[in-house]
Amino acid sequence: MARCSVCGAPAVYVNRATGAAYCERHFREYFSRRVRATIRRFRLFRSRERIVVAVSGGKDSLALLHYLVNLSRRHAPGWEIRALLVDEGIRGYREYTVRRFERVAGELGVEYRIARFRDYLGYSLDEIVRLGAERGLPYKPCTYCGVFRRYLMNRVAREMGATVVATGHNLDDIVQTYVMNILGNDWEKVARLGPVSGPSSHPGFVRKVKPLYETLEKETTLYAVLHGLYDGFEECPYARLGERWEIRRMINRLEEQRPGTKYRLLRSLLSAIELLRKAGVGAEGEVGTCAICGEPSAHPVCRACLLRIELGILEVSEERLRSLPEAARRMVLKALKLSEKRGGPEGGDRSGGPR
Amino acid sequence: MPVRVRVLGEAGERAVEHRPGMRVADVLRELGLLSDEYVVTRNGRVVAEDEPVEDGDTLLLYPVVSGG
Repeated sequence: MARCSVCGAPAVYVNRATGAAYCERHFREYFSRRVRATIRRFRLFRSRERIVVAVSGGKDSLALLHYLVNLSRRHAPGWEIRALLVDEGIRGYREYTVRRFERVAGELGVEYRIARFRDYLGYSLDEIVRLGAERGLPYKPCTYCGVFRRYLMNRVAREMGATVVATGHNLDDIVQTYVMNILGNDWEKVARLGPVSGPSSHPGFVRKVKPLYETLEKETTLYAVLHGLYDGFEECPYARLGERWEIRRMINRLEEQRPGTKYRLLRSLLSAIELLRKAGVGAEGEVGTCAICGEPSAHPVCRACLLRIELGILEVSEERLRSLPEAARRMVLKALKLSEKRGGPEGGDRSGGPR
Repeated sequence: MPVRVRVLGEAGERAVEHRPGMRVADVLRELGLLSDEYVVTRNGRVVAEDEPVEDGDTLLLYPVVSGG
């Protein structure tokens, strides 16, 4: 039986890439060391922050919330931690994770907010997926979910006074997204896959950070199990439709045969980001403001507004259309045309992660 | 008596015939599961993959892959 490399007690975890084994106590120390090293190395937080943790109610984001709350109580008195759950309204899935989130947030004594698609967009994701199918739009559920989730996360976190948003993306999520973007030949997205994302220049944009960037999903899961944060498993009914599902299986099989594959992929990604930035790929351009909703956007009209127009859930009057700047008007007209066109399914969401 | 295996979030239970010297990793392999994709508790305690299993043990598997 494996013994803890530190104290010799029975191990609860063996990191197969490094061969190090940990008992429960020393696993907690190892986990904390690892996450703190990421926070320091990439300068994720300053000494005074209002951190809004974006929580799904799944194990990773709850582990992150639990960890940051405890870390701030012991070592970072200048941090104020809040939690935000974006409820896209997937029946038979989200209601369970919302319940777990509310229990954990209550136990931790953390202030939180739940932002519902239906309250902000007028429709739940289930309804949006149906509307998209009726109109023959070429998008998978993960595309709508990803775009609107990021839109709401930024907007509501800003309303909550966030100076930074922390998401629960772990090392596994990151390397999966890396492989998906390599396959999609999308180097702009690879260049933006670092642990800190987002332009800081736009006043409406809240910086996003990923403290679990260098932590394996198996380790975040173990942390959640050991702290009683993982008492049920629900699967998003749309999850298996995405390309991510296949990529994840492939990487996990490789890791089983060749431990350390995921660490090597992460090192490869960090090198790729450095090389791409030197070549000027993924450089932060001027971030503008969406002519429709006023949120920060790299384009004259943001993706969330374009999707809403294509879905027919955002009306733009003739008068409004005439008053838009030329580039924005062209984008809106194109979206209006697309809303009538029929097409086949696209590859899926490649821009962030599953949460 | 077999080793009983339950996966969190799945209905029902699976059974694996116990063999002398069997370890958690062997049970997972027999079920066609990747050890990287589960955190395993044996009789309620989190264990590493090389933990020996006894006849009649109950393993509860926590899926590592997120469902969202």
